Amino acid sequence: MTSVHQLVPTISPRDAVGNHTLALREVIRDLGYDSEIFSMFRHPDLMSETHYIDRLPADADAVIYQLSIGSPVAERWARHPALKIANYHNITPISLVGKWDGLLAAEVQLGRDQMARYAKVCDHAICDSDFNKSELDELGYASTTTIPVLFDLSQASPDKSTLTNLKRKRRGTQVLFVGRVAPNKAHHDLIAAVRTLRELHDNDAHLHFVGTDGPPGYRKVVETIITHAGMRDHVTFHGSVSQEQLVAHYLSADVFCCLSDHEGFCVPVIEAMHHGLPVVAFDSTAVGETIGDGGLLLSGKNPLIVASALHRIDTDSNLVQRLRDAGRQRANAFDRIVIQDRFSQHISTLLESP
Amino acid sequence: MSDSRSDASYFKEVVTEIEAEAQRRASSGEYPRALLRSLDEEFRRWIPDASLENGVEDTIRGIETAAYVDPAVPVDSKTPVGRCIKWVVRRLTYFYHRHVTQQITALGIHVTRPLRLLDASLKSVNRRLAALEDRLDVGTVARSELIAGIADISSTEQFGDALCEHLESVSGRVLVGDVLDVQLLRSLRNRGVDVYGVASTDTQVQEMVDVRQEDLFDHLGDLKNESLAGFVLCGIPDRGSINEQLRVLRLLLLRSKPGAAIAVIVINPNTWATQLGPVATDLLHGRPMHAETWSYLLAREGALEITITESSDSSCFLIAATLP
Repeated sequence: MTSVHQLVPTISPRDAVGNHTLALREVIRDLGYDSEIFSMFRHPDLMSETHYIDRLPADADAVIYQLSIGSPVAERWARHPALKIANYHNITPISLVGKWDGLLAAEVQLGRDQMARYAKVCDHAICDSDFNKSELDELGYASTTTIPVLFDLSQASPDKSTLTNLKRKRRGTQVLFVGRVAPNKAHHDLIAAVRTLRELHDNDAHLHFVGTDGPPGYRKVVETIITHAGMRDHVTFHGSVSQEQLVAHYLSADVFCCLSDHEGFCVPVIEAMHHGLPVVAFDSTAVGETIGDGGLLLSGKNPLIVASALHRIDTDSNLVQRLRDAGRQRANAFDRIVIQDRFSQHISTLLESP
Repeated sequence: MSDSRSDASYFKEVVTEIEAEAQRRASSGEYPRALLRSLDEEFRRWIPDASLENGVEDTIRGIETAAYVDPAVPVDSKTPVGRCIKWVVRRLTYFYHRHVTQQITALGIHVTRPLRLLDASLKSVNRRLAALEDRLDVGTVARSELIAGIADISSTEQFGDALCEHLESVSGRVLVGDVLDVQLLRSLRNRGVDVYGVASTDTQVQEMVDVRQEDLFDHLGDLKNESLAGFVLCGIPDRGSINEQLRVLRLLLLRSKPGAAIAVIVINPNTWATQLGPVATDLLHGRPMHAETWSYLLAREGALEITITESSDSSCFLIAATLP
């Protein structure tokens, strides 16, 4: 039986790359191939269905490496005699993390070094976005293609108590951002924008952050800025939430705003569009191509412009309705079934080609 | 069903309208620029001082913690018999595990020593680099040697009356720095202005005149935001690098209250070039900025009633304005 295995440095069930890896295994198995996941660090919940890296069979026909950070695991993939496929999810540039988290900086630097070295050994690379693809093309990867990451656009029902709580407290414009509290996500710029919104248009505007903490130093700075801006009562960190709670946030907010400096894809933007939440975003890296025609794309993130955009959404019901419709339509392009089919066809073609 | 193409053009039109609206608000002075500048300053202030400084420290601590390997293997088990067997095995093999783990721990400690040395070295390099960042053109020593060629750095004397008129109605502290004109301080004080001076160079301190002898950047670094009712900036615009000039303006604006009366005195760049000669002019590529440039920078910050006054001999300019 043909075997197509996957290698990933770390696998965890509540992580975008982890979920994608698990989903891709099912796609490969549905094609009739033998497929297992091998990893160095495995979440306790996934011990029984994944394997330690040492168990990777030497006679595998193809090995897919999930590339999103530097890891010694990558060397095993690079030396493996099988057809080598990289699935690239992007690596945050060291300039955006170096000052905040030394360990992460070392890992991303290693990742970028490995990415450059493997241009010669990688037979084919699948990238989440054209932005990611362009990075590999520049490094000289011979064969690359773009297929978005596999994820479930949640059909989960909103958590009722979260929804009630959010709706009970709401007064002004409710601005939502979902993502790790990390410098590349530019939470500080969102605070400046919402502070400007409050100053000029809507004194009750509230900013909601959903997502786990990244570098502790960055969270500390963001907290200092919140205090300095007099936004203590106007910003809420909700931390990591369940799928149901997340849906409640998408349904209760007025607008999703993303001012990230670097995104290799950006799943939360698609989730927001899927739930009919208007999206305003700074057009950087892969954000623009992910949103497509489904939201308002700003060429800069001057707080005054962002605040004006947020205010426009709050006051223009016609625009809101068109953004909702366009967003939903755009989100359909990332439907799990559609992406699964693309992966199936692509992997079949790769294995069948001589 | 929405039409993707018409949506795309509609959304682009909306963004254009939003940008125009923002531009209109910015030019009408509604933009809370002072607040945003202070948020930006806050962010800059709290970014870790040097790249990797904290991270390396944390990483080394992590290695040191991980380097300690516990030789006592857990004996938890689902059954009492299993626990008993594990306990016996642990007792019997303890000498072996302890021997191995001690060597691993020692290795960890040896590994972290050179890392700590590297860390110290990196920190030192980073500190020096940070100090150099504001002097990207030429070093301080070279700059002061070259700048000594200027016979007459712009003086506040020629603008004494205009400054007194501009500042006499302000309520609160007014800073004059960093070239000191004691006569100006005295005149302002006599007109009831709560004025003080800051000068890094030796200045003969007169009675009844409040003069702080310290670096203007250090002084501004210690001041609270919005603590000044006005300022007169001179000296640094004549001899500072572009970085220093922009930085001092940024700090002064940050420390000034809304409505503050502000003034900048700057040498005429042509006078500056003539006095210095071609060599210094070429080497000091951080030249004085034109009065129009100062006016532009102040307008960008939303300053109102900006006026430019030329001295009688055309050697320098006074740029006066009021903050929004």
